[in-house]
Amino acid sequence: MNALLDEFGVGDAQERDESWRYSKAALRALSQQEFALALGDAALSSALIERFDWPETRGSRLVFINGRIAERYSDGAAVESALQIAHENERVALTIAATLDRPLHLVYVNVPGAQRSRWTASCDVDVHAGNATLIEQHISDPSADMLGSLTSNISVASGADLHIITQSDLADSASLYRRSIAHIDGVLRTTHALAGGRLQRFDLACRLNKPKSRYDGRGVFALRGRQHVDVHLDVRHSARNTSSDILWRGIADQRSRGILHGAITVAQGADGADAQLQTKNILLSANAEIDAQPILEIYADEVKASHGATVGQLDEHALFYLRSRGVPASDARTMLISGFANEALGFVDGPIRARLDAWLAQHLQLTVEPTS
Amino acid sequence: MLKIDDLHVRVAGKEILKGISLDVKAGEVHAIMGPNGSGKSTLGNVLAGRDGYEVTRGNVVYNGKNLLELEPEQRAAEGVFLAFQYPVEIPGVNNTYFLRAALNAQRKYRGETELDSMQFLKLVREKLRVLHISDELLHRAVNAGFSGGEKKRNEIFQMAVLEPKLAILDETDSGLDIDALKMVADGVNAMRNPQRAFVVITHYQRLLDYIVPDFVHVMVDGRIVQSGDKSLALKLEEQGYSWIAERKLVGAA
Repeated sequence: MNALLDEFGVGDAQERDESWRYSKAALRALSQQEFALALGDAALSSALIERFDWPETRGSRLVFINGRIAERYSDGAAVESALQIAHENERVALTIAATLDRPLHLVYVNVPGAQRSRWTASCDVDVHAGNATLIEQHISDPSADMLGSLTSNISVASGADLHIITQSDLADSASLYRRSIAHIDGVLRTTHALAGGRLQRFDLACRLNKPKSRYDGRGVFALRGRQHVDVHLDVRHSARNTSSDILWRGIADQRSRGILHGAITVAQGADGADAQLQTKNILLSANAEIDAQPILEIYADEVKASHGATVGQLDEHALFYLRSRGVPASDARTMLISGFANEALGFVDGPIRARLDAWLAQHLQLTVEPTS
Repeated sequence: MLKIDDLHVRVAGKEILKGISLDVKAGEVHAIMGPNGSGKSTLGNVLAGRDGYEVTRGNVVYNGKNLLELEPEQRAAEGVFLAFQYPVEIPGVNNTYFLRAALNAQRKYRGETELDSMQFLKLVREKLRVLHISDELLHRAVNAGFSGGEKKRNEIFQMAVLEPKLAILDETDSGLDIDALKMVADGVNAMRNPQRAFVVITHYQRLLDYIVPDFVHVMVDGRIVQSGDKSLALKLEEQGYSWIAERKLVGAA
């Protein structure tokens, strides 16, 4: 019995089974619990508001509480000339018709009710023209025993450029299922920074449909306790001279579990495709586990493609090098792990980058406390 | 400043250092020469505190303290610096950030006030100027993608910023062209003073043309088999290490 597998699985029984291979037990455990429907009109504590009320996105922020748009916390005045928002209950469609001169901040807040609850929502993004940066932030109340599910259809027109920065910072009792399918005629870049969560599943399918369309993906997950993050990337090159470049970093401590599945398919006729996938992972404890699964399927003749995946420990030589210069052991570990994570944040700069850095550093500092 | 007495060290069960004794006083430059595999780098690593080296006999006293009891970062803060033979690449960690963290951790240990970023930058620019190094180095990740010569220059740069009391240079000359070698030597010579000592580990005499040592020690098979002044290095250059090895055999017989 796994009702959630039926709900979240895609494809036939075998495909679903394969795609949830490493997370089936976690999903089954969720499946066996009862969820009430989460309420969308909850009030937010000041502690929660502080986590997303960034000065640089005031006036370009939409806040969703348990999947529903919360008008009283949202303000899109600064971007209204380029952005059209249509919403009906838990379904939202964003249309971007021109360059957004500041990032559009979408905040998904999980607020628990009296009992265990769940929400389901969708947010479609359609970029007609121009450059846009979208920040998708998932946060939760520390006690949020919840399951959220968010699906998106994304389309990026020829000549348009969309960067989606996803920060997911969930309580250990909160779970999220996040599925997007992106039809890319222009350029899509994504940056994921993921931490926390009982079960976080990110499915991202990218379809490179037009010649010269491009997808660049960066991401990092940093896990501890019994956190579980499962990332599935599925990139399909179906036009000539398309390119994709994926670089992920994974860090797992204590009994946490990380999965990065990266599948790249170059279809017949998609000659001139350039596909790169690289993932490096560090295990900080003997009980942590990371599964890195790069898959490359090529049906075209003229293709440049490479993939690589490593799972290892913190580099003892590097640790000694830092210590030999006077950096105390615990700081040296934090420095190395932060540096490792930083390599996946190259698309983000300015104040948003500073926020991500500080958040990750704080998260990693906790991660690298001795666990024995 | 540094007194090594009958030091025996094992690595992975094998005895590498077989009774080293060495007395280094402030202001002195000691060169340690020897063929590959004689234990020169092991000595440097043991002094800096690298894991995996088992001291089975002997002791090391540094400024009145038992050096072998200190953690690597404590040794650094006490003024010991090892310029690595193979500096480690650390992608994602910025050189300036790392060096400031290191300097401030040392200062904190010694009870000195930490430098803010402006003070630190001023210090760093001063050192760069003396060493004729481009400030582009500051913006890069630690040794990441550096050429062999750049890594060695970075070691000397770090030494200049951290201002150790005892600097151990582990084959800093290996793999350097003559210009880089001169730069490294200039960096060291600029730092020579009556309060600071150097232990220069090298395979070739060439470096000692530029860093003129007060003492030269020849190490063979985990022991110092001969000590002398700088003329010993020249003799080695002429006659090779086999001369020493033969002498050792004769001595043993």
